[in-house]
Amino acid sequence: MKKTKTASSVRLKLALGLLVVLNWSCNNNPDDPAAVPYGSGVLVVNSGNFTDNNGTITYFPPTGTTASYDIFNQVNQRSLTGSVQGYTESDGKGLILVDNTTAGQDKVEIVDANTFKSLATLKSPDIENPRSAVRVSANKVYVSCWDVSGDYTNGTFYKDPGYVAVVDLSTNTVTKKIPAVKGVESLLLVGSEVFAGSAGGVTKLSVIDVTTDQLKTGIEIGSNPNPVAVDANGKLWVYSAGELVRVNTQSKVVENRLKIGTDKSKSPSKFRLSADKKYFYFVSSYYDANYKEFGDLYRFSVNDSSVPATTPFIKRLFSGLDVDPKSGIIYGGVTPSYKQAGYVLRYQSSGTLIDSVKAEIAPSAFYFK
Amino acid sequence: MRFRDGIFLSLLVCSFSVAHGQTSGTDQTLPAVTVRGTTPERFSVGQKTQRIDSVTLEQFRFQNLTDVLTYTTPIAFKIYGSGQLATSSFRGTSSNHTAVLWNGININQPTLGQTDFSTLPVAGFDQLAVQYGSSASCVGSDAVGGSILLMSNPKWQQPGLLVSAGQKLASFRNFATQGGVRFVSPAGKTWQIAGKTFFYTTNSNNDFPYRERGNYFVERSITKQKGFIQDLYFRNQKNQQLSVNFWLTDNDLTVTPFDTTVRERTRSQSYRFLTTYETSTLTLRLGWIRDIIDYARGNFTNPSHSQTDRLISRIENEFKYQLKTSQVSLRIGGEWSHYNTQVDGYGDQLIQEDRADLFALARLDLNRWLLSANIRQAFVTRFDPPVTPTVGAEYLILKTATSNLTAKGSVARSYRVPTLNERYWKVLGNPNIRPENGFNLEAGLSERWLPNERFSISTEATVFRNRIDDWSYWNPEYGYRVENLQLVVARGLEWNGVLNYTTPRWQSGLTLGYALTRSSQERVYNVYAQDIIGKQLVYVPKHSRRFSAYVAHGKNRFTILNQINSRQYITFDNIQFLRGFMLTNLLLETQIKLGSIETRIQGQVTNLFNTVYFNVKRNAMPGRSFSVQLICNLNTTKQ
Repeated sequence: MKKTKTASSVRLKLALGLLVVLNWSCNNNPDDPAAVPYGSGVLVVNSGNFTDNNGTITYFPPTGTTASYDIFNQVNQRSLTGSVQGYTESDGKGLILVDNTTAGQDKVEIVDANTFKSLATLKSPDIENPRSAVRVSANKVYVSCWDVSGDYTNGTFYKDPGYVAVVDLSTNTVTKKIPAVKGVESLLLVGSEVFAGSAGGVTKLSVIDVTTDQLKTGIEIGSNPNPVAVDANGKLWVYSAGELVRVNTQSKVVENRLKIGTDKSKSPSKFRLSADKKYFYFVSSYYDANYKEFGDLYRFSVNDSSVPATTPFIKRLFSGLDVDPKSGIIYGGVTPSYKQAGYVLRYQSSGTLIDSVKAEIAPSAFYFK
Repeated sequence: MRFRDGIFLSLLVCSFSVAHGQTSGTDQTLPAVTVRGTTPERFSVGQKTQRIDSVTLEQFRFQNLTDVLTYTTPIAFKIYGSGQLATSSFRGTSSNHTAVLWNGININQPTLGQTDFSTLPVAGFDQLAVQYGSSASCVGSDAVGGSILLMSNPKWQQPGLLVSAGQKLASFRNFATQGGVRFVSPAGKTWQIAGKTFFYTTNSNNDFPYRERGNYFVERSITKQKGFIQDLYFRNQKNQQLSVNFWLTDNDLTVTPFDTTVRERTRSQSYRFLTTYETSTLTLRLGWIRDIIDYARGNFTNPSHSQTDRLISRIENEFKYQLKTSQVSLRIGGEWSHYNTQVDGYGDQLIQEDRADLFALARLDLNRWLLSANIRQAFVTRFDPPVTPTVGAEYLILKTATSNLTAKGSVARSYRVPTLNERYWKVLGNPNIRPENGFNLEAGLSERWLPNERFSISTEATVFRNRIDDWSYWNPEYGYRVENLQLVVARGLEWNGVLNYTTPRWQSGLTLGYALTRSSQERVYNVYAQDIIGKQLVYVPKHSRRFSAYVAHGKNRFTILNQINSRQYITFDNIQFLRGFMLTNLLLETQIKLGSIETRIQGQVTNLFNTVYFNVKRNAMPGRSFSVQLICNLNTTKQ
């Protein structure tokens, strides 16, 4: 009896061992779901300290607080070598916007969105000072680029015009450069049009037809307009010079102008919609005499008629802000300094702190997948 | 590297110092007049000093100070690119903590409080020594981590005329040309005259045949360097000497030169003038230094300009007392300098200030003991640093015919006067910043062993601890405003060993060095400082190793140089780093003589194994490259 037991236990061990081996070999199979380590979760874009060219992407899994750091480097054994300006995904691919201190060294890294394995690198002269990216249709992404940036004092900081690079993800190439406004900045897709903002001193919001890749007539908004989001009412909101401007996406008519806050020493930024698209969160901040930045998070309804911004929603300054569109959880990036890791604080939509997870240098944007 | 220069020098016949088989060796007995140039060393008893031998200096004569120091010392350099800004970290301190002395005068840029080592070519001086640890009582401000001593040498023992011309051709369309005359009049009854006139130019086009290495970009830059040296010395039999030294450096760096919108040009020019009068007891110095930096981006016609003038005067008198079994030297001196600075970033006004120093240095030579005690007080308008004392001792533990073993120890305070940028920069400067102050402890053992005629071995081990308080810090939390926020403790050990083996036909040598440097910030000044307490300072490798070996036969010599550095962290919390790397250079040299012209031919392979390593901008540094150097000497000095 004893012997039989022993023999069966040996068999069991062998079987288990075989299972382990099989399982291990399965894990090495690229088709196995376990081999898509970054398939879902949250990506934190850490812009890095500009002159150190050390921006990174941190990965937060769907649950828990165990982050993976600099995942591009982990997978590809090389650094991104620049400030990371943004990240977007399209058709199973991720695009990382990298801005290096040296002209001619900016790039867009195209990775497999599930494994983060590098697929291609778009470089200069296709890409110069990439600012923002948006998927416009299957395998087609727009990347706004300032082009070569000179010096403020020489008046050559923003090249006129900047351009929007059309990236074809079936060939991983830039197929066209759409000439755009000076300092072309944020991009937002609404229907078959992309609204393009500016940092270069223009007053019109640009409109691009994504079927023809042509610029259409712009919308007069005010200084440096940048599209923010489309709310629950289907209205486009554009930020310009201390105001959120509501625009009818069909008629392109400005319907309302909301002054943000009353204190002129503070500047609002990082407008993000709540998951139900009925509220805006934003950061209002200022610098004291010692160049230290202070600020808080505020919230208002898209139907409010005024935004006094006097009572903070969360008393905390964030260097990055976003809202998980599924859970409504608020992600706030905190940058203690540009020479050490920042943190991501997560809050319930009620404003209650959930947890704090270490990220990397200057967490400034998030991508929910 | 503290091998006897004589052994090395006699192996090679090369220009200037070695052309006649004599040595300019500093271990040799020199007339008292020349020894005076080395005040910091004589009174910094108990501290480690390393002399870079003249053969090595000859090998690096077409390169910059960065190149020679990185292969011979554990000083870490923060390099921005090929031919670009290079700053030092000596024993785990910052770039502001290395004093660079030219003939005894601190030539760090007063605005930045540091030296860009890429702008100082080896061709600009005759002798090079490195002093480890704080020696503020002898040197003054900045000598916190260590000092680099650059010296001119009249070479009185070699009367005659030497005309020298050199040309370097290297990969990437990099060229350099040098030429000059050195003369020493015969030792007459009354006066002897010596002088040197020398110029150099370097054109580094850095025309790399690649845009990337190992998927990392290689940044393009062009460096044009020019320089001129004029030394004149007069001395008489009464041991009075008058000398005049002039050194002009001009370094013109353009990064991304081919894009007219974004190209960046940094032109650094320094005029250094020094006149010295010395007797056997008295030294008077009068110097003038002008440092100019012009920076422009895109359009080069109207650069941002910075100009600082310094007028320096120093008087020192040495008193010597010969006792029965000992000798006491007491050196008392004072220094006064006037600064005039005009920098665009400081506003429109001309900023002027006066600085003064008083110091007393004492040295006692006993039978087996060598002791020194020094004190210095510096006075700076509104920024008076603390009184800075130093005590050091050396004891000869063992002395036999073939070997000696010495124990050393030193306790020193140090300070650093805030730089002009730290105080006057309109936006981020801090008029209330205080001088930093350091406390350095070190102890070491050195052994020299000559078992027979052929072998010589020397080795030295040192441990140190340097605590620097009020460490000024461009605080990234406050938009990089400068504050006296941190307390840094640097500790470590250094070991080096030199082995030489010589036969009548063959000579060979081996040098090994290792340094462990642990340097960290220790003060909590905000809640997030917790993440950086105790972490290794940025850009300071924990481990560094140097290795060099040579074999020489007749006038042919083969040298291999190797360095290994561990990773350099780039963030205060050590989450990111530039990976460690190893570099190897090979040198092959020979000499031919045609009539009275000796020509030395040197071939060099730099980065032999094509290592991909990075600068602080995370660009790849250049790969393997080759150069050929030709140096022709017309020599009439008497052999």
